[in-house]
Amino acid sequence: MANRAGAQRPNGATQGKICQFKLVLLGESAVGKSSLVLRFVKGQFHEYQESTIGAAFLTQTVCLDDTTVKFEIWDTAGQERYHSLAPMYYRGAQAAIVVYDITNQDTFGRAKTWVKELQRQASPNIVIALAGNKSDLSNKRMVEYEEAQAYAEENSLLFMETSAKTAMNVNDIFLAIAKKLPKNEGGGAAQPRQQGMKINNSETSQASEGGCCK
Amino acid sequence: MAGKSSLDNVTQSKVDGYGFERDGDFDHSSYDEFMSRYLAILSRRSIRWSGIVSKKNRVPRSRKVKRYCRKGIPNEHRPMVWMCVSGAQESMASSPLLYQTILKSQHDESTVEAITIDLHRTFPDNIYFSANGNLRGPLFNVLIALSHKNSDQGYCQGVNFVAGLLLLIVKNEEKVFWLLDTLMNDILPDFYAPDMKATQAEQELLGEIIKWKAPDLHAHLKKMDIQWCLVATKWFLCLFADVMPVETTLRIWDCLFYEGDKILLRVAAMLIIQNKDQFLRCRTFTETMDFFKQIVNNPKITDCHAFLQKCFTELGPFPKAKIKALREECMQGVK
Ligand SMILES: Nc1nc2c(ncn2[C@@H]2O[C@H](COP(=O)(O)OP(=O)(O)O)[C@@H](O)[C@H]2O)c(=O)[nH]1
Ligand SMILES: [Mg+2]
Repeated sequence: MANRAGAQRPNGATQGKICQFKLVLLGESAVGKSSLVLRFVKGQFHEYQESTIGAAFLTQTVCLDDTTVKFEIWDTAGQERYHSLAPMYYRGAQAAIVVYDITNQDTFGRAKTWVKELQRQASPNIVIALAGNKSDLSNKRMVEYEEAQAYAEENSLLFMETSAKTAMNVNDIFLAIAKKLPKNEGGGAAQPRQQGMKINNSETSQASEGGCCK
Repeated sequence: MAGKSSLDNVTQSKVDGYGFERDGDFDHSSYDEFMSRYLAILSRRSIRWSGIVSKKNRVPRSRKVKRYCRKGIPNEHRPMVWMCVSGAQESMASSPLLYQTILKSQHDESTVEAITIDLHRTFPDNIYFSANGNLRGPLFNVLIALSHKNSDQGYCQGVNFVAGLLLLIVKNEEKVFWLLDTLMNDILPDFYAPDMKATQAEQELLGEIIKWKAPDLHAHLKKMDIQWCLVATKWFLCLFADVMPVETTLRIWDCLFYEGDKILLRVAAMLIIQNKDQFLRCRTFTETMDFFKQIVNNPKITDCHAFLQKCFTELGPFPKAKIKALREECMQGVK
């Protein structure tokens, strides 16, 4: 389950739809945003993950039935002062994962602030997932599962506890997002882009990408 | 330690002369090829430098020293030359007790927390910054002292990498503290301010320079929806540390400490413009972003001597007045 479980090859050469989505990770410094992305994209985990400066851009593709979903992932820096740059990354994003650390109550509070900001300022149809990361450290747990789940339900968020370290629920949360994203004709990114999104440029990329799940 | 000895005999090793572990796919042969040429250049520069370093182990600022800095400071003189030409030496001499006094004072709790989070996340692939290394302590000291002295700016993630590389080269906490203080206050004012406006503006300025020096490339990147802040934030905040090969970053810093911020723009512009043809072939946002990752670390960049030379000869003039005017415009554009 650790490696790229989301990126299986489809049986045969069924040419389905290809959708491209912009996804942003938000959350306090050191909650494990970069680690989640590294696990999802490369199947790896580093005990000592470098601090992210600015933001890192990565891509990963998952297959859902006959649809190829390509994520353009923005892994952002968590320090408060980088907050002013955040809108640049979530503007036009179709999905967001807001991450907190289950061993640190403050990071859960910060996650709620991010959710509020996204609900107010991001695209109206953005799919938001809440990830309670470091679930392998349950002996140091400070945020109860039920508390976070209740909050997620109230706010219609996807919710999972994850562990970048053990890989638990990492691919699953990305897959759950992929399932929830609208996959209308011509790719999911088409519509929001017309609403003035700056960053996506999926039109040309779909043409050149061709096949499913490289 | 002589500059050469830290570079010699390490080309085949798993760890480079600065303590960085090499990737499995490290290109030994092209590195060796470059190094054999570069060592000859270094020893020639070393002889030249020994002619201008005074008996008191000082260098003055002069046109000659500026030219010498552009051609590279030998490792054995680097800490001293950086301290002298940047003005850090003078600041240190005028407040000889300050560093120790700050370290002994009460530290702000949230700053301590923010810095502590980054201690094991700064160069984790360097043996001196690993759990068994001896530089995490000095890194903490330098960062906490810096944040206290410049409490209006506080601790900005990114400075940890600059401080880390300075510690590897200068090997003296207090000097590193003063070099960073000089960077923050004199060489790059407001770069590390909490509102991040100056760094955002600097990236917009980079865009303006690309537009001026290579308008077709600028138009293409715009069509690809590239925003400058998406590509260059780390370049500017880390001053290319943890972005480029170490040797190249140090050559950039040789110029930065002497002549200031313009070198960052020159380097950033050269990085992009020297790859113009490949950029023009990128057809999508994703392709373009992926290519941006490749341009900072490849054999063209490893050859720091040729690259730096190119930055000064191939971009044409960067008139101070024009840069200043453009910067002010960009600053106004950043909300
Ligand atoms: N035990 C545990 N540690 C984790 C997990 N995810 C991340 N970490 C560690 O937490 C620290 C911060 O992770 P990082 O991905 O850099 O956080 P970011 O600042 O949110 O990007 C690193 O030392 C990681 O090794 C996890 O699921 N379990
Ligand atoms: Mg990170």
